[in-house]
Amino acid sequence: MTIAHDFEYVLPRTLEDAIDVLGRPGAQVLAGGTDVVPWLRDDLIEPALLVDIKAIPGLGEITIDDSRISLGALVTFADLIASPVVAAHAPLLAEMASQVASTGVRNRATVVGNVCSAVPSLDAGPALMVYDAQVEVVGPDGDRLVPLGEWFVGPRTTRLRAGEVCTGVTLVLPPVDHAGAFLKLARYSGEDLAQANLAVVVTEDRNYRLAFGAVAPVPLRARSIEVLLAGRELEDSLVEEAAQLVADEISPITDIRATASYRSHMCRVMLRRGLRAARDRLAGTGPPYGTHVI
Amino acid sequence: MNELHHVGSRAPRIDGRDKVSGAAEFVDDIEFGPDLLHAAVVESAHAHARIVDIDTSVAEAMPGVVKVVTGRDFPFTFGLYMKDRYVFAQQTVRFVGEQVAAVVARDPVAARRAAEAVSVTYEMLPAVLDPDDALDENATLIHPELGEYPHVPWFFPHGGTNVAHWRKTRKGDVEAGFAEADVVLEDTYRVPRYAHCAIEPHVVVAKQDHAGRLTVWSASQSPYIQRDLFAEALAPIGLTHHDIRVITPYVGGGFGGKAGVTMEIIGAALATAVRGHPVKLRWSREQEFYNTYQRQGLVATIKVGARSDGTITALGHEMHWDAGAYVEYGANVVNAAGLSATGPYRIPNVSIDSLCIYTNLPPGGPYRGFGYSEFHFGLESHMTRLALELGIDPVEFRRINAITEGDELPYGAEMNPSGLVEAIDRTAEAIDWGTTEASGDPRKRIGKGFALFWKAPAMPPNASSASFLKFNEDGSINITVSGMELGQGYLTAMAQIAGEVLAVPPSKIRVETPDTDRNPYEWQTVASHITWSCGNAVHSAAVEARERIIDTVHAARGYEEGTLYLEDEMVKCETDPDFELLLSDFVVSGLEMEDGTWRGGPIVGSGSFMPDFASAQSDPQTSQGGHPNVHYTVGAAGVVLEIDIETGKMKVLRAALAVDVGKAINPTTVEGQIVGGMLQGLATVLYEDMRFDAEGRLLNPNFTDYKIPTSLDTPEMVIPIIVEVPQPDGPFGARGVGEHTMIPAAPMIANAVADATGLRVTSMPITAEKVAMALLEPV
Repeated sequence: MTIAHDFEYVLPRTLEDAIDVLGRPGAQVLAGGTDVVPWLRDDLIEPALLVDIKAIPGLGEITIDDSRISLGALVTFADLIASPVVAAHAPLLAEMASQVASTGVRNRATVVGNVCSAVPSLDAGPALMVYDAQVEVVGPDGDRLVPLGEWFVGPRTTRLRAGEVCTGVTLVLPPVDHAGAFLKLARYSGEDLAQANLAVVVTEDRNYRLAFGAVAPVPLRARSIEVLLAGRELEDSLVEEAAQLVADEISPITDIRATASYRSHMCRVMLRRGLRAARDRLAGTGPPYGTHVI
Repeated sequence: MNELHHVGSRAPRIDGRDKVSGAAEFVDDIEFGPDLLHAAVVESAHAHARIVDIDTSVAEAMPGVVKVVTGRDFPFTFGLYMKDRYVFAQQTVRFVGEQVAAVVARDPVAARRAAEAVSVTYEMLPAVLDPDDALDENATLIHPELGEYPHVPWFFPHGGTNVAHWRKTRKGDVEAGFAEADVVLEDTYRVPRYAHCAIEPHVVVAKQDHAGRLTVWSASQSPYIQRDLFAEALAPIGLTHHDIRVITPYVGGGFGGKAGVTMEIIGAALATAVRGHPVKLRWSREQEFYNTYQRQGLVATIKVGARSDGTITALGHEMHWDAGAYVEYGANVVNAAGLSATGPYRIPNVSIDSLCIYTNLPPGGPYRGFGYSEFHFGLESHMTRLALELGIDPVEFRRINAITEGDELPYGAEMNPSGLVEAIDRTAEAIDWGTTEASGDPRKRIGKGFALFWKAPAMPPNASSASFLKFNEDGSINITVSGMELGQGYLTAMAQIAGEVLAVPPSKIRVETPDTDRNPYEWQTVASHITWSCGNAVHSAAVEARERIIDTVHAARGYEEGTLYLEDEMVKCETDPDFELLLSDFVVSGLEMEDGTWRGGPIVGSGSFMPDFASAQSDPQTSQGGHPNVHYTVGAAGVVLEIDIETGKMKVLRAALAVDVGKAINPTTVEGQIVGGMLQGLATVLYEDMRFDAEGRLLNPNFTDYKIPTSLDTPEMVIPIIVEVPQPDGPFGARGVGEHTMIPAAPMIANAVADATGLRVTSMPITAEKVAMALLEPV
């Protein structure tokens, strides 16, 4: 089907120019376009102006500075998979990225775009939340950092204000060695939106970070489980105790992709398998990153 | 039999270079120049409503709009087997998405915006969304005019109800059969609707020139049926077959969805409203889902009795089909199932009721398997359950009851030659039936499933094919037929058949896609009949050409006809080993005599085929007396399935399918059909899940939420097994195979799930979620 309404298109060369035009009414940022173009096609958005940020220098880089990894707004999921920085310091991100959509979409879709679209099933959300990520936002009044835990307001709604553009996200690596796992429940092995997803980080000093997606209006950190597990080894009985807390953390719905009861059941299964996979990876005995444990 | 050179060879596809290079042209690739107009339809927002008013005034005034038409402009019905479908809705809309009006404009955007500006006022009617609700005596009638619709003589509509056709098959004494059984098992199975999901959506371009000539380019499996139905529907505005030409280039997949006529009638009608301009109508992926055909839903209640020695004594099979808003094609799916719902078994006492029930959902219609995939799910699940209740191995139970040549079919005629037992044995061997396998992972179980299948072409008794063949100067050949290359390898098979007769390699034979002005008649490319039927037509065209070649050589060189034969693109003589005459030396130019005169002339051939033994005449109460099906193709399939009992996720470790194709004209393309059909069948059982809301609106007309497998979801291994017990009336013994290979996939999986876990699932699809949640429930 055809995109059936008219809009202007600009390709600013600097961030300042982008901020300038984003102040105009009906402006919409365009990066990879894997969400924006289908929305245009389906008349879900009717922007007067598309501001394509792909010509702004510096937004396509993955950098590491001490314990902080920064992903520019144009970093794609394919970039995450290919990045030596990610492979060395946060392979969980590549494990997540490899399960997003299909090769073609991963080559085009940006991580930050995923965070800005803010659909409840986004895969980037839980994977970034276990790294206490912060969203970098630039607007006419300067720049600000928003913790990812506060960024998501509801389905398709974020703290981004009119006239602002999101320029990147920054992750904070744990101070000690860690390993992770990203589990995505989908209807098949091909490209799919998550029925549920889970990111797990286990640190050498036995701290645990857990974030679920697609089982609440926004991705969430499972704090009560993290508190329960903190400092403890993953004995079977403890894992079971943790699994019992899952129901208190999530609020899944029944929709076309899954029933609430299957989501709840699978979140417990994913928690058990995800925790053990991450722990074993830290010990060097776990399934290699990229191995699906569900 | 003489040694075959081309039939049975793994000849490369003759359309391969076209497809791989991108040269292959599809309808949407054809350039029509600046006069091309674009159409968009106004769709019903309701499943069942009366149209009170249509206001087109705003749309007509919009820039770029050329014409707006409604049902008032085309108050015509059409349909393949029953005239119950409307070019545009008249007083009533019967499903969400039905065409109510259309806009023709200078560009697609103007057409779309103007279509949105057409205002339709509806008065709501009760929507009937469930076939069993539709059977209620107080149910709203979806087609109050049912009793008046013209239909083929083998349909039995029940006017004044929602039952558009009721096929009854009765043989023997069913009650007595159950009485003599040691075990009788009864259960109900549910199969939802499915979508074809061909890669190319439907598209039509139509142009009526100023002389009145209507040419239609369409993505279709059925150029001649399209011409026929266009002529019939548009007869009131003066069009005849003579005026209409249908051109069908390559098609990007059909699976039944492009059989008959659906949206193409809109394009043909619109062209008559804007004479001189070609008009293009191209379905979106969403429209592809809800306004073409869907595979019909089925609720089947099956009762089978057997003696303790494993002999089946009786079968009762009642099928309620959710046939949708229009059944002009789908009622024949119901009919086909009603004649054959015993499956490939020898059963003395049979009672089958197959009811075609109108609902306010999208029109049902043909889909690969044509009713057989649907009823085999329940039937083949049931046969395994019955075997286990009897304490008999499910494969052995099938061997005991497998139908063989000469056995009496449900409608009384005799079964054709069949290699079913060989198919059973070879499939069982391929999956190591009888041995159990265990996973190293304690969360996983491995089970095996087995299923048989059969299917006959469902066609009018006089469905026919024809072929023209001509030689070129270089000894190459052009063949024109009107079957469609849908990816199955049909063109190559026709080249191999002609090449075998004429001793010309298939690579030197072009088989051209249809143009009803040039190519001879073909009923349709459906029913898995095209290799058999059109193959026979091509065979006879080639034989006619061969006779002319022999006649020419006889006339010019004096050899007796009976001693001449063709080999390696030459004419040779049994009595004169030194005689060799290249075909390219004379098949156009003829042969020169000593006196300088010439004999022969361009070699051409033509052939037609129509079965002369088929008959649709039978007793409406029993279906006895006729010969509605030309032959059955049979086979078996098995699977080794791994299930994660916590997640419900399933993985096909190994699958095998054996099918008796009579003769594999090209084993490579037969294997393609086996693997492709298996994957399509696995998709329907494991992933595809069509959902409607309470108002009858399809919730997932897209690949975001309607899942067909990707390369990541294909089985580790599919073992194709070709069985060849010749079909006496088929070209070189061939019979159909295209649809059959998807039929056993669903029950095979259901049986494997039960084998692995003890869980019997009686509804499709069998998704990971369904399995996991059922396993959680206390037994």
